[in-house]
Amino acid sequence: MTTTTPAGPTAPTAQATASTPPSPIAIRRRRTPATPYLLLIPATLILLVGLGYPVYWQVVTSLQQFGMMQQFGAPPTFVGLDNYARIFTDDRLWAVVGRSIVFCLVNAFLTVAIGLGLALLMRAVHGAVRIVMQVVLLLAWATPLVAAVTVFRWLFDYRTGVVNWLLVQIGLEGYDGYAWLAQPLTFFFVATLVIVWMSVPFVAMSLYAGLTQVSEEVLEAARLDGARPGQILWHILLPLVRPVLAIVLLLQIIWDLRVFAQIRLLQDAGAPISETNLLGNFIYELGIGSQDFAGAAAVSIFVLLLTVLLAAPYVRSLMKEDAV
Amino acid sequence: MKRTRVVASGVATSLTLALALSACAPADEGGSGDSAGTPEAGDITLWLAGSDTNDDLRKYLVDTFAEENPGSTLTIEEQDWTDLVTKLTTALPDAANTPDVVEIGNTQAPTFTYAGAFREISPELYEELGGDKLLPSFVEAGSIDETKYALPYYYGSRYMFYRKDIWSKAGLEVPTTLAEFGDSVKKLKTDKRSGFAIGGQDWRNGISWVFANGGELAVKDGDQWTSTLSDPSTVKGLEQWQDVFEGASNLPPTQKDEAYWDFLNDGSEGEAPSGATIMAPAWARWSIGDLTKGDDGKEVRDGMADDSRFDIFALPGVDGGVAPVFAGGSNVAVSAKSQHPELSENLLRIIYSDEYQTMLAENGLGPANADFNKIMTVDAEGNPNKFGEVTVETAVASKLVPAAPGWAAVEGASVYEELFQKIAEGGDVTALAKEYDAKITPMLNGQAG
Repeated sequence: MTTTTPAGPTAPTAQATASTPPSPIAIRRRRTPATPYLLLIPATLILLVGLGYPVYWQVVTSLQQFGMMQQFGAPPTFVGLDNYARIFTDDRLWAVVGRSIVFCLVNAFLTVAIGLGLALLMRAVHGAVRIVMQVVLLLAWATPLVAAVTVFRWLFDYRTGVVNWLLVQIGLEGYDGYAWLAQPLTFFFVATLVIVWMSVPFVAMSLYAGLTQVSEEVLEAARLDGARPGQILWHILLPLVRPVLAIVLLLQIIWDLRVFAQIRLLQDAGAPISETNLLGNFIYELGIGSQDFAGAAAVSIFVLLLTVLLAAPYVRSLMKEDAV
Repeated sequence: MKRTRVVASGVATSLTLALALSACAPADEGGSGDSAGTPEAGDITLWLAGSDTNDDLRKYLVDTFAEENPGSTLTIEEQDWTDLVTKLTTALPDAANTPDVVEIGNTQAPTFTYAGAFREISPELYEELGGDKLLPSFVEAGSIDETKYALPYYYGSRYMFYRKDIWSKAGLEVPTTLAEFGDSVKKLKTDKRSGFAIGGQDWRNGISWVFANGGELAVKDGDQWTSTLSDPSTVKGLEQWQDVFEGASNLPPTQKDEAYWDFLNDGSEGEAPSGATIMAPAWARWSIGDLTKGDDGKEVRDGMADDSRFDIFALPGVDGGVAPVFAGGSNVAVSAKSQHPELSENLLRIIYSDEYQTMLAENGLGPANADFNKIMTVDAEGNPNKFGEVTVETAVASKLVPAAPGWAAVEGASVYEELFQKIAEGGDVTALAKEYDAKITPMLNGQAG
């Protein structure tokens, strides 16, 4: 995670020009040493085996009729795009897609906003306080997912949860025995708390690392010119950490789109299941729950495309920045 | 099935999860040598679900198997109920990795039976293992027409546990009809206490009201299954259930499979219990009662030793007698891909032996063979055991969910949880029944979606 340093891209070019001064065309001369390609082989193989094979299977299965019978040896029949047609005409899918996208965007932006706030705070506070903050953030980040969700489940338990107890103590009697997970809206409120709580540390640390790269001279110059703190943040700090910001936001969007276990574990505590399913849960329910492997594969491919679609603008702008 | 509380155990789930499953293509088994005589020695694997089969029972199986099959060994692996279906779906079709003999929840058995996951149990073997004495509803769950694939392993049934002191104080007796039960538990409800502590999604308890009113969840006509929630008897049962839930339970409509026994126990500082009645499987007894020190010095419940405060009764039927409740329990079957089918059948012979059936009954697990039910009803000293008596009494009257090929899919998609939640929230039962019939019928016949 680094900011683009202006010296970086230009250095090799300068060197190349220096070594072959007479003809600028020579820069483009290609030598093709074998070593880099050899070094690429293991990574490519791992990608092909670990990712390519499942994706290939996924595509094939999504074009077949594949259920429990096929799993136990009945030959699958090729059905073309029938699975996709069936899935796309299913109202459940679109409800889940809409819910997932909203949930993903809200969580991603919220996470990045809070993460940015914490990063700025870490920059501003005294060294000892900063170390305490970093340790706390790391601990939150290192908490295993199941443990974290279990803690939140207990906090929000309708009978014995601390949250309800506190609310009643401060006089809100209506929260005695209030079931947070029973309504989709409050369910997603709790889910958002868990997910944001778990992902803020990564964002905060990354952004803080980015902020440390901003040179003090620039800020001092700005202050001398009479820039207010808000202006410094908006016009100097943010543009300088923009690449980091863009990357963590992209990662958050991808991660929050495929959130699964947190929702599943919260549902187990008693929730309206079909109204709280996100894409990951919907695929799980279809494939593992109902043994409709073909339908689940079709939805998975759709989610893959959706992820690419959501991520494409960011990837493009990132590549543009790299090219500059 | 006892509990299908699917605690997704932190499964790392990439989007390719569903596919990883199908990646292991089933290898066709070459012609199995049907050589007569002693089977070739080998090591076979038995998958048991959950920890209900205790260590003594396991040891007996392993030792007896080794003794009766010189040179062969039995390995027992315990699987978790929560991801049993997933594991069976991936392991059974794979000849190289399949367990030889598996325990499977009784409501999951039909799906795997129809998919061809299990080896046929020949009529001769079926007779040898107990034949008609084996619990019929469980045998049916593991059969396609007359051909048997999965046999009953053990059953448990559910009955009512109640606080006798609270009931007596309110002047209430053990009810004799289902309507009287409903009226009593409604009277016992206060703001702080459920008359009948039950979650709204808890359909495995709720369907008892359907069965008691003569309703069915689904019927088979020819090869086709039809969901029959809209049947007048079923609707009547569901409405009666709705009335009881709304009037007697303080729990949210979204709850299911709670630790209901906690509701009956006194609070840790002697607070009054938050429930007067619960419905639970027989083993819940060991989580109810006063705290005492166990053999190992840890605090345990005394198993309802104080019978002036804790007692049980069978859910009464509509016109008295005993209501048909949902039977929990499991089946056992040999994998179709087992490399050692003869050895696996030898293991079945041990499971259905008189000795093992006796051991099951003595451990409070309902034996597959009806001849051994009487052992359940007396304790070690030969005195009547009310827990065993009620277990057998309710089990005799119990019913199973439809043995349809797609039933596991209905459970897997939590369709009944959703239906019962909506009923518990006060929805119109007739309209809901119609809506869910349309949804469930195609699923029952194994048509996805």
